[in-house]
Amino acid sequence: MFRQVKRRTAGRRNFEESNNKKLDYDLPKLYSCRLSFYDLPPTREITLEEFEKWAIDRLKILIEIESCNARSKSLKEIESSIRGLLLKYLPLSENQNIEERMKDHYSHYILRLVFCRTEELRKKFIKNETILFKVRYNSLQPREQQEFIELNKYKLSSWEYVTPQEKSELFDKLFASSYLMLKSHFLSGGENLTYDEVKQHVLIKENFIKLPFEKITNLVGTRSIYLHNGYGYLPTSLQLNLLSIEFQENLSLQLMKTFQTIPRLEEDDRLLPLLNNLSKSFSSFKYDTEMDPALISDINATSITSNSISKHFPLCAKHLQNNLIANSHLKYGGRQQLGLFLKGIGLNVDEAIKYWSHQFTKGGSMTVDTFNKEYKYNIRHQYGLEGARINYKPWDCSTILSKPRPNKNEYHGCPYRDFSIDKLVSSLNSMGINDQQELNSIVDDVGRHDYTIACTRVFELTHKSQIKNSQDSHINHPNLYFDRSRLLERGQNKEA
Amino acid sequence: MPVEQFEDESINKGSKKPSESDMLYYYKRLLPFRQIFQWLSHSPKPTKDFTFREFAYEHRSGAYQRYNSYTSLEDFKQTVINANPTRFEIGAVYKINPKDRKNLPKSVMKPVSKELVFDIDLTDYDDIRTCCQGTDICCKCWKFIQVGSKIIEFSLRQDFGFQHLIWVFSGRRGAHCWISDIRARNLDENSRRSIVEYLDILGKNGNKKSIKKPYHPHIERSFEILKNEFNNIVLTDQDPWFTDSTMSSDSKNWKCVDDLLSFIPNKELSKELKSKWQKDIHSTSKDKWEDINTIASKVLKSKSEVNYLNDAKKDIIIYFMYPRLDIEVSRQIIHLLKSPFCIHPGTGNVCVPFNPFKNISDNKEDDEYGFNPLNSPNIRDIQNELENYNKGNNELHDWEKTSLKPYIEYFSHFVNELTKEELKKRSRDNENENNLEF
Repeated sequence: MFRQVKRRTAGRRNFEESNNKKLDYDLPKLYSCRLSFYDLPPTREITLEEFEKWAIDRLKILIEIESCNARSKSLKEIESSIRGLLLKYLPLSENQNIEERMKDHYSHYILRLVFCRTEELRKKFIKNETILFKVRYNSLQPREQQEFIELNKYKLSSWEYVTPQEKSELFDKLFASSYLMLKSHFLSGGENLTYDEVKQHVLIKENFIKLPFEKITNLVGTRSIYLHNGYGYLPTSLQLNLLSIEFQENLSLQLMKTFQTIPRLEEDDRLLPLLNNLSKSFSSFKYDTEMDPALISDINATSITSNSISKHFPLCAKHLQNNLIANSHLKYGGRQQLGLFLKGIGLNVDEAIKYWSHQFTKGGSMTVDTFNKEYKYNIRHQYGLEGARINYKPWDCSTILSKPRPNKNEYHGCPYRDFSIDKLVSSLNSMGINDQQELNSIVDDVGRHDYTIACTRVFELTHKSQIKNSQDSHINHPNLYFDRSRLLERGQNKEA
Repeated sequence: MPVEQFEDESINKGSKKPSESDMLYYYKRLLPFRQIFQWLSHSPKPTKDFTFREFAYEHRSGAYQRYNSYTSLEDFKQTVINANPTRFEIGAVYKINPKDRKNLPKSVMKPVSKELVFDIDLTDYDDIRTCCQGTDICCKCWKFIQVGSKIIEFSLRQDFGFQHLIWVFSGRRGAHCWISDIRARNLDENSRRSIVEYLDILGKNGNKKSIKKPYHPHIERSFEILKNEFNNIVLTDQDPWFTDSTMSSDSKNWKCVDDLLSFIPNKELSKELKSKWQKDIHSTSKDKWEDINTIASKVLKSKSEVNYLNDAKKDIIIYFMYPRLDIEVSRQIIHLLKSPFCIHPGTGNVCVPFNPFKNISDNKEDDEYGFNPLNSPNIRDIQNELENYNKGNNELHDWEKTSLKPYIEYFSHFVNELTKEELKKRSRDNENENNLEF
């Protein structure tokens, strides 16, 4: 396999030998540090298998970060929840393991190719890569952190470490300037240090770097750092923010460049399908509904109102459908949210039109003609058959939560956020959750604005008997709720 | 662009207003165009820093004319003489010649650089000034500007590392500071904002509540300067907390006293103080400042309470004396500011540069003040000085025959230092460029 790949590349013009040599760097030097700004592109050949596997492995980590982020976890929490994945898929050990570092390097560049295509993808990629960068920086030894900065001096040329003598000479001033910021820094990490403890920390552990004040204007304006002769003195505990800004700006610039050069790659018939596939199947790191024809055979305009299907609906979809049935109408936001959800569970466009037209006209206040004139377009639009012809995806929880809240007579949104506590509790009761302690914990989640966690908890409680091994999986998409619920049911039926 | 207002012009010594012919005489014979030109061009020759620079005129009619620019020193002088404005202001250097802006798309009219500027105005001190109000000033209240400019200058030099800065009397009741270092000229608006915010420790409308402890080194240094002047400027000269038995409780002085008491952290102490002062027949600010300590020694029990009071006393000194800055002037690159050596249209005073640390006028009486705005050159006086100068020495510039002389010399020195460094830098850049060529 490997040989064949080699032979195929041999004749390609972009892999000519002469071209290749110029860009060959000394690998041990390139990988001398675990962490990297990824300034230099990889030049060695790798196999297509490696290409794909490495990309997917890195993607798994980024998806987990994205999901943590959607649940607004702190950096510390993200760190602990991706630790295992990192070890498994993208380990970076302290000893000079070139293989590991190569994989990290290549996978980053491959994903750049995958995610440079649209503004939205670029943003997501930058956000998650920057978090990964932060997590990794924090896991470095202080010595390695310093080495990393030394190594990247050429781009952080304005950074300079303050010598121990200078530090001790300026100690009182450095401490007085940074005390408040350091205190709140530790507080955000969960440590509440006293005045003297912070002082001890600064005295013993803290190093300072100095850099031109123009680089840190936000800290200058709040008088959070010591300034002398045009330089700001920044404690090393706080330099990660700066590094990550540097990382972020760099990556955003590079992604644009990659995007501009991608047409040159289009001639490659091996990589392109792979890249397209990667970017499609993971397109916005979102949960994508699988459409196995065998599984959606029972989804049609009438079955979806039956209990056998609608019992798998999450509360938001249930709420929408109930109100549609009761009022024979649903306003725009509700039609979008429910319509796309139903599309996601496998309702095809003909069945969808049947479903909506029946629901809207059954009350007698609307004729089929009016429906066709005013609402059919809307349904077909959802399926990408009208207007811009975009194949719209079902809304995930963060989309739902980001839309305007429902007004009177509107039923879209997230019930965990939009219901009053009384209404929520009675809805939960009707779903079979009656235990006071369980109800309290859900209400607590809601109080902390952890709506998707509340929903996940509801899922776990209502599927208690079916869940065998507790998979710690978080529900961030109404269709995930539905599909998983159906999957559990099928598993149970099979056993029986 | 908002400019200083001229309220009460008619009442306020209208006779001082310079006439059209006064101004023409001044522009033709006295205003040091060459020095201003060289200052803005950063070279004895015209550079883009000068030719792409915006100047604005304020005309006698009240019309305001922006986006003038000049090709050379001669053009500068001749155009100003022809226009004979009541004053002219200096704006930013643009990417293109501001004159060409009408022929080009709007997007290219971008400001590139400008001196960093600061503006302190005594009207912002009206709550603490008892000597004068509004546009009036005297030597007593000028002391606020004096100490304020020292504090700003220390910070700009020591903290930000700027070297080429000059203070200019605004002609009536304030002072401008121009920082000409190349690093300062090239700052973006974000950085400018961060510098004013750094310096503006009182915040918007003098945010009263206590300043965060521990004091930032800049605040600590400023406090050390202010505490030496507090006794003199606030307690003695201004005496804002003076009360006697004849004053009604809603008089300005009692309001000031309440203001003072609002800083006292201990409720009981502040109550005790107020009731004592209400009984006092005659109590000056000095008496009250001492009372705080005497009563505190009776009322306060724990050491931490005493520490809080001491912190509050430091806050009071800073609150009443720290310079109050106009943020927008400093933040906006395109903001225009009256040129040094213009004539203030309301007072006829020349906007002369001054040194906050040392009196530069030849008048020994002023040494006590550092700069005495009341004795500063006025257009009438220097005209007379020039007319009465009869030594027949034609070697001298006209300005050398007047009391403007020390100020123009001081300014020339500043400009020369700046130009020297600028030329050094330019030749270094050229060298580097040449090295790149093979």
